[in-house]
Amino acid sequence: MNSPLQRCCRVLALSGLALSVVSFGVNAQAQKKPVIGLVMKSLANEFFKDMEEGAVKHAAERGDLTLIPVGMHSETDIDTQINAVENFITKKVDAIVVAPADSRALVPPLARAIQAGIVVINIDVALDQAAKKQAGVDLAFVGPDNRAGAKMSGDVLAKTLGPGGKVVIIEGNPGADNAQQRKLGFDDAVKEGNLVLLDSRTAHWETEEANTVFSNMLTAHPDIQGVMAANDSMALGVVKAIDAAGKSGQIKVVGFDNIPAVQPLLKDGKMIATVDQFGSKMAANGMDYAMKALQGEKLQGWIKTPIKLVTAGGN
Amino acid sequence: MMENDPATSSRPVEAPVPSSATGAARNKRYTLVQRVLREAGIGIALLLMILAFSTLAPHFTDESNITNILTQVTINLIMATGMTFVILVGGIDLSVGSVLAFSAMVGGLVLKTEGLPVPVAIILAVLSSVLVGMGCGFINGFIASFWNVPSFIVTLGMLNVARGAALEVTNARTLFEFPNEFNAFGTASVLGVPAIFLVALALVIVGWVILSRTVFGRMIYAIGNNEEAVRLSGHNTFYYKVAVFVISGLTVGIGAIIYMARLTIASPILGNGFELNAIAAVIIGGTSLSGGRGSLIGTFLGACLIGVLADGLILMGVGDFVRQMITGGVIILAVIVDTYRARFALRV
Repeated sequence: MNSPLQRCCRVLALSGLALSVVSFGVNAQAQKKPVIGLVMKSLANEFFKDMEEGAVKHAAERGDLTLIPVGMHSETDIDTQINAVENFITKKVDAIVVAPADSRALVPPLARAIQAGIVVINIDVALDQAAKKQAGVDLAFVGPDNRAGAKMSGDVLAKTLGPGGKVVIIEGNPGADNAQQRKLGFDDAVKEGNLVLLDSRTAHWETEEANTVFSNMLTAHPDIQGVMAANDSMALGVVKAIDAAGKSGQIKVVGFDNIPAVQPLLKDGKMIATVDQFGSKMAANGMDYAMKALQGEKLQGWIKTPIKLVTAGGN
Repeated sequence: MMENDPATSSRPVEAPVPSSATGAARNKRYTLVQRVLREAGIGIALLLMILAFSTLAPHFTDESNITNILTQVTINLIMATGMTFVILVGGIDLSVGSVLAFSAMVGGLVLKTEGLPVPVAIILAVLSSVLVGMGCGFINGFIASFWNVPSFIVTLGMLNVARGAALEVTNARTLFEFPNEFNAFGTASVLGVPAIFLVALALVIVGWVILSRTVFGRMIYAIGNNEEAVRLSGHNTFYYKVAVFVISGLTVGIGAIIYMARLTIASPILGNGFELNAIAAVIIGGTSLSGGRGSLIGTFLGACLIGVLADGLILMGVGDFVRQMITGGVIILAVIVDTYRARFALRV
């Protein structure tokens, strides 16, 4: 493990490096390798950080393209993404791979990119159909089915509790497309498993808030038997609240994302399932499809990426 | 400074205190009755709220729910305690949420250092977390005072610096699997009261003694009332203005440890928006944003009021969006009521 001081030195070194990379960017284009711009969401989020690192590694392994990754500071920083797309148009990159922060606001700048002859591949969250139609663009979406994933996770809970099981849902950010899809997936599982949904509230993807919100839900409904959390960070907070209430093991928790921090919980049985959508590979997949499109392949519709159910006590 | 104070600026002409009175003189004019009235307003509001929820919100009075509320107000209470010192001198600290994350990440890394005996690791983690907090506070205070820049801007800068640093130390990774002995503290209780809440309570009491019973504390009030007068009377205000930010950093460092113990993880994105909760608690508690007036008892009650409100509304089944609206409305209401309260207290 690096010491904070070492890391500070690395930041300084990296910022120097970043400057030299900018000046070398011109050279890279001269080499005739296709240039792919990667527009990411918040790199403060482990999930997207992994995704970006996976993409950078993949680009180095392929060696036949130049990758320019751009991240933003917060999940809702739509402006930064739009600016990044516009910069890429000015730079005349060959392709843009984008994980949109907003499924509508990003459509107009991406349409401009397509008009400028740039291949656009949409990853992670699908752009809005109506908005795409309005802008007159048709582009492929490479990404997981969040709704199906959430249903897989919810189904494990339904099977464990049996019909009539009393559950609550902890939702992601209201308005975020993947949050809505996961909520729908959980609702599907509730309906199909004949579960009783006692309450459903947002904790904005955050551990601390999930801890607080779930503690209160548990007070209001002491008979809760199961929890579906729309991401694992929130599942962590829920598990802590269950421990604090002295109900460890009595309330079953399922999550989404399969982050490293929930691995011990899955091992102890404090969580019974989560879903891995292989986030670190998503941007890399997007790059592969961008390269295919650049070679003339026609891509359309939804290219689904794999999702995998991870359950307690081995996969 | 005094002209901005709602207590003086909105006072009617016939009020007994001449507007040219110095801050120190004004403080003396508060009698015990006036003091009690000042704190009582928020206390009565809190009591009414508790009574209302006791009848309206099912399970509100359950023992487990009371434990919940105490646990949930703990971190805000700790951070609001430090914030009270800063606001009393007329400053503001917007960086506390980010510094909390940075302190937690450094503390978490130390805690996970391999080869250290668990008790040593815990002690070092607490020390490093608190030192990081105080260090950031010192930088805030020093820059704001030495170059006489508004603390609003300095701490807004620190908000970004500390957040970036928190993300950088682990490259945005969440730290987990802390020693069990450490995690146990997060859920420990003494006679049914959460141990982490007792830490917060102790901080409030120590802070209250410092503010109301020491020369240091009186100087903080005096600077908030009229810094120029304090300086002209031969005191070095620089020292006090740096000290309040270091105190704020200290409480943030302690808050970071409490947070880690409670959630058993350290995440670099934690603490987002915590600064606004802390400021809300201080302001609802009747401390003037322009400094010089207020108390930690008020802050304590303010933090409890926010916690009780959030808890009660969820128990009543109020939806997320409406809950957010109500919480915001209560903050605004509290500030309006406070201007009347201050006026009334002066007239008594």
